[in-house]
Amino acid sequence: MNTVRLYLRSMGILLKSQMQYPLSFLLQTLAQLIMEGGEMLAVILLVNRFDHLNQWSAGDLYFFFGLMSVTFYITECFGRGITGNFPSMVRTGQLDTLLIRPRGILTQVLCSAVDPRRITCIAVGTFSLALGSGLSQVSWTATNVLLLAESIFCGCWLILGLFLIEAILCIHSVKSVEIANALTYGGRSACQYPVDTFPGSLRTLFTVIAPFALVMHVPASHILGKPIFGWPAWAAWISPLSGILIFIIMVLLFSKAMMYYRSTGS
Amino acid sequence: MSFIHVQHLCKRFYVRKKRKNGSLLREKETVDALKDVSFEIEKGELIGYIGPNGAGKSTTVKILSGILTPDAGEVEVGGKVPWKNRKTHVQHIGVVFGQRMQLWWDVPVLDSYSLLKDIYRIPEAAYRQRLNELTEALNLGDLLRTPLRQMSLGQRMRAELCGSLLHQPEILFLDEPTIGLDAVSKLALRSFLKWENREHQTTILLTTHDMEDIAALCSRVMVLGRGQKLYDGSLQNLLHHYDRRRTVEIRYAGPDCMPDLPETVSMQKEGDGFRLTYEPEKLPTAELLSCLQQGGPIRELTVQPQNIDHLIADMYQEMGL
Repeated sequence: MNTVRLYLRSMGILLKSQMQYPLSFLLQTLAQLIMEGGEMLAVILLVNRFDHLNQWSAGDLYFFFGLMSVTFYITECFGRGITGNFPSMVRTGQLDTLLIRPRGILTQVLCSAVDPRRITCIAVGTFSLALGSGLSQVSWTATNVLLLAESIFCGCWLILGLFLIEAILCIHSVKSVEIANALTYGGRSACQYPVDTFPGSLRTLFTVIAPFALVMHVPASHILGKPIFGWPAWAAWISPLSGILIFIIMVLLFSKAMMYYRSTGS
Repeated sequence: MSFIHVQHLCKRFYVRKKRKNGSLLREKETVDALKDVSFEIEKGELIGYIGPNGAGKSTTVKILSGILTPDAGEVEVGGKVPWKNRKTHVQHIGVVFGQRMQLWWDVPVLDSYSLLKDIYRIPEAAYRQRLNELTEALNLGDLLRTPLRQMSLGQRMRAELCGSLLHQPEILFLDEPTIGLDAVSKLALRSFLKWENREHQTTILLTTHDMEDIAALCSRVMVLGRGQKLYDGSLQNLLHHYDRRRTVEIRYAGPDCMPDLPETVSMQKEGDGFRLTYEPEKLPTAELLSCLQQGGPIRELTVQPQNIDHLIADMYQEMGL
């Protein structure tokens, strides 16, 4: 039985178990709506006051916000295993229970959790994307749709890769959540806005190290018809792949780190 | 070569010491969890693995199950090196950690089992048959639709055991499986392990602190202390070697008037009586009794063999652990 089917079956069973507490699920889903709505409110207030940021119009800003929001919360929803308690599994030795099963560690971690409450965050993001593309009069040609899909897809792997950093650090018995959080949650908050509005050092950080700019801003700016960095069209198709590259690098580092895994507890 | 072959196994951990004031770098301390441990286990054996906390029992189990890589030494389980090809190796082993749950917490155990079926790629027919067999042997019938979180500790342990045996492993490692269980659950667990061992020739390695587990199940015992193997043989032999003391509980009819006793006897007052410990080899029981009779009329007197836990404590002490 292949890995994808195992993942889907696991998701089914996990969803079933989440529905064991329907009220709690409903309340938490609403809480997520308020949280992400609040984030969007910040953008609304910003464009209300300034109506543009450098060359970016209000519609463009909604578009960038929506893209990040959709990508980040799709990742949190389906990749909850990695974005959630994976580091603490390493710290507490719970990882042992995965090591004694005949499947890859990351496969099992991905199969271990799903977070359907994020659906409201994804909805807010989709709304913002739609609003932005309407205001900025984006023409939804097949190329643009495909480019947006590529950007979201690659963005998910980028975010998963960045979350792996924390797990890797934990294996080396360093408990430094903050460093990893600066890139993941910090990256999400910062890169809701296009990267060329940042000072140089931050721009480098989110272009080279955690390439949110390459994965999201380059294709998005192309869709909006205002190519960032003055890059040509083909670059908008190539640059999101850096997200997958980051994920592959982190997986390799992770398997290297597993050789140093020493387990804890008895 | 034997089924499980362990030769000169060593594992060292590096533990960070607490930071000294003002120093940025932490010093490392080395702990030798296993120092040159060797043993052989044949197929179908049921072996007890004992030793004080921190002796290296869990480390051995983790190496044998492929979780940890040793620093030196040879290990072969069923002709294969556990950590070289983890996925193939774990297909043939089952592991139960007494303090760590492996099944999904909020999900009915039956769903957990069917996921395990997919994880281990167990054919449908074999899965059905094995599940029926285990459900009956572990008396799980009514619990299959219950999520783990609603179960008592004893029920949970039975459910865990079932989960770790579904793929019919050749070897079962149990790390303190009876920890925290009540008497009934313990007895049920022991009789199940015996059954599984007899019925399927499953090799079982059991680490525990509960000597009753060992006495009830294991013909062979290995004692580990400070990372070294200190004993390997039958439980009777082990007990015989350390079983030197007897305890006497005595109450006099009249007021307390304990006579002077030889120095080799240690005495404690307990309630309105006394508890004496002595070694029959140094002081024959008859001699002790005649001493005691000088204290006046005896109302009650019992001579007891040593409790198995005391015995093991004595043994650890004598081995310098």
